[in-house]
Amino acid sequence: MLTETKPVTGAAIKHAIENRDGRMLSSFYADDALVRVIDRNNPPSKPREVRGRAAITTFWDDICSRAMTHRVDTSITEDDRMAFTQSCAYPDGTKVFCIATIELKDGRIAEQTVVQAWDE
Amino acid sequence: MVPETRYARNGNTRIAYQAIGQGALDLVFVPGFISNLDLHWEDPGYSRLLRRLSSFSRLIQFDKRGTGLSDRVDPAHLPSLETRMEDVHAVMDAAGSGRAALLGSSEGAPMSILFAATYPERTRALVLYGGYAHFHRWVQGPEAVAHFTEEAERSWGTGAMLRHFAPGRVEDPHFSRWWARFERLSASPTAAVALTRMNALIDLRAILPSIRVPTLVIHRQEDVRVDPEAGRYLAQNIPGARLIEIPGRDHPIWTGDVDQVADVIEEFLTGIRPQPQTSRALATLLASGMVGPERHAAKLGDRHWLERAEQLRTAAAGAVERFGGRIVTLDLERLIARFDGPAQAAGCATILRETAQWLGLRLSQGLHVGEVEISGDVIAGLAVHVTERIARHADAGEILASSVTAELSAGSGLHFCDREEIAVEGLSRPMRLVTMMTEQHLEPARHRRKEADLGKLSAREREVLALVANGLSNPAIAADLRLSEHTVKRHVANILLKLDLPTRAAAAALAARQPEVR
Repeated sequence: MLTETKPVTGAAIKHAIENRDGRMLSSFYADDALVRVIDRNNPPSKPREVRGRAAITTFWDDICSRAMTHRVDTSITEDDRMAFTQSCAYPDGTKVFCIATIELKDGRIAEQTVVQAWDE
Repeated sequence: MVPETRYARNGNTRIAYQAIGQGALDLVFVPGFISNLDLHWEDPGYSRLLRRLSSFSRLIQFDKRGTGLSDRVDPAHLPSLETRMEDVHAVMDAAGSGRAALLGSSEGAPMSILFAATYPERTRALVLYGGYAHFHRWVQGPEAVAHFTEEAERSWGTGAMLRHFAPGRVEDPHFSRWWARFERLSASPTAAVALTRMNALIDLRAILPSIRVPTLVIHRQEDVRVDPEAGRYLAQNIPGARLIEIPGRDHPIWTGDVDQVADVIEEFLTGIRPQPQTSRALATLLASGMVGPERHAAKLGDRHWLERAEQLRTAAAGAVERFGGRIVTLDLERLIARFDGPAQAAGCATILRETAQWLGLRLSQGLHVGEVEISGDVIAGLAVHVTERIARHADAGEILASSVTAELSAGSGLHFCDREEIAVEGLSRPMRLVTMMTEQHLEPARHRRKEADLGKLSAREREVLALVANGLSNPAIAADLRLSEHTVKRHVANILLKLDLPTRAAAAALAARQPEVR
């Protein structure tokens, strides 16, 4: 079944994330998109990079397979740039907090940088 | 920092687990024979492996029921492999993992195979390290199991069992002590014996063809515990499985080159070949070289020179450990070690100088503080070459240091005296050197030490001294004389006290000069 291609808006991202819809999330990205993740284990000088839509699809499939809750709280849009915060919780109480910035090109996500922190 | 330990529930049993990192992929580490979540972080190899794996995944490690931090169970009624496999399920549920890659190490491999066959929809991929499908065929036959359990009954928790798993680490006193604690804190002797007997029943050969998830098999080429044929059999019988054999004979996944293990796992699970991980850090370096080894060898004869050089090498390893350092390079004629600060490095250099003198050898030593590139146990950088250059410039018996080392030692009680400047390749300006002064005390000049009187030693102490002189470690002496390691330690301490000697290497050198001891 083909996934419907929706315009990339703050509301669409919020809906896909909060419903753990990995297929929908993947459809928001350009074919050669780059997702950069910075956290304690992947410092700014060596961020983890996920390149290309296939790898990004796997990335979101893995995240969305987790039985956890996601809440997108603050979302800011300015021309071709967006930013949002995301609060997540696992069933055992572990919390994760992320801030993401997005750059759009031709209506698709070309680059995304995620900075995250978690309980450990 | 040790991550928070949480507990999953499987029926009435609590299973301890830790989740580390926040990579997109969930990776469940299914441990081998025994485990203890908190203790894993105390071993540098284990913690490095966990850190590496958690850099690209959310790593979930747990202790099987009956082991480590999980609920103890009646050793007489240990659960089946199926029940233990359900513990994986319970941990994944508690951690909110819908689908995970499983890393099964050693006995954890059959459990992971069973999980993948039973729950393919929850298994993203399978990595089997040092694993097997049939215990008796590839680990131990029935007779060997009987010997192993007898030995476990006798010496569980002493570290004596280490030789069955990692013979390459038996002579590493720090690791041997950690291993003994690891045994004691992971399982009781009764549970260890029961686990062994239960693992001996494992035979999953029939289910291998039913595995339908991407599988990587990793095995060390000379694995001392599990026959490498076991890995080849797994790769041949699990559809589409890939086999990677890596060098080494020590069995535990956290020993040997853990970076190589982590590299192949990361590449298999993420499709990205990891870049070598290096980091820069400020370190105090000590370089120590033997002066005129060829002259000493000619004077003493090859055999005696070799004995003394070996004794010095053993003493050097001990001294570096005692001062909290890490060995970078150590052979018969050369040592490079790094320390947290100049005082520790200087203390180590002083002990080495004394020990070398006792052995009739001379060292030229250099100290320097600089930034180095650290990758695992390997360090590199200009600072290493500078330290070696300083050591080569030192006279026999001298401890020479860069002026920056002296400046950073202010308040440590170390005293330095100016020497000359030298040009060092790679540095734009000449480097000013200082020589470390021996401490001056307001006490009478010491008379030349008289040769120690071996007549002060008891018969038992003379026996221990002879074995020390033969280069045996305390555990080896304990085994040879059928004494506890603690008793041997006390004998060695008494010997040093009675003979007024600083180190066991000095005692060994003295014994070597006294034919009646040998």
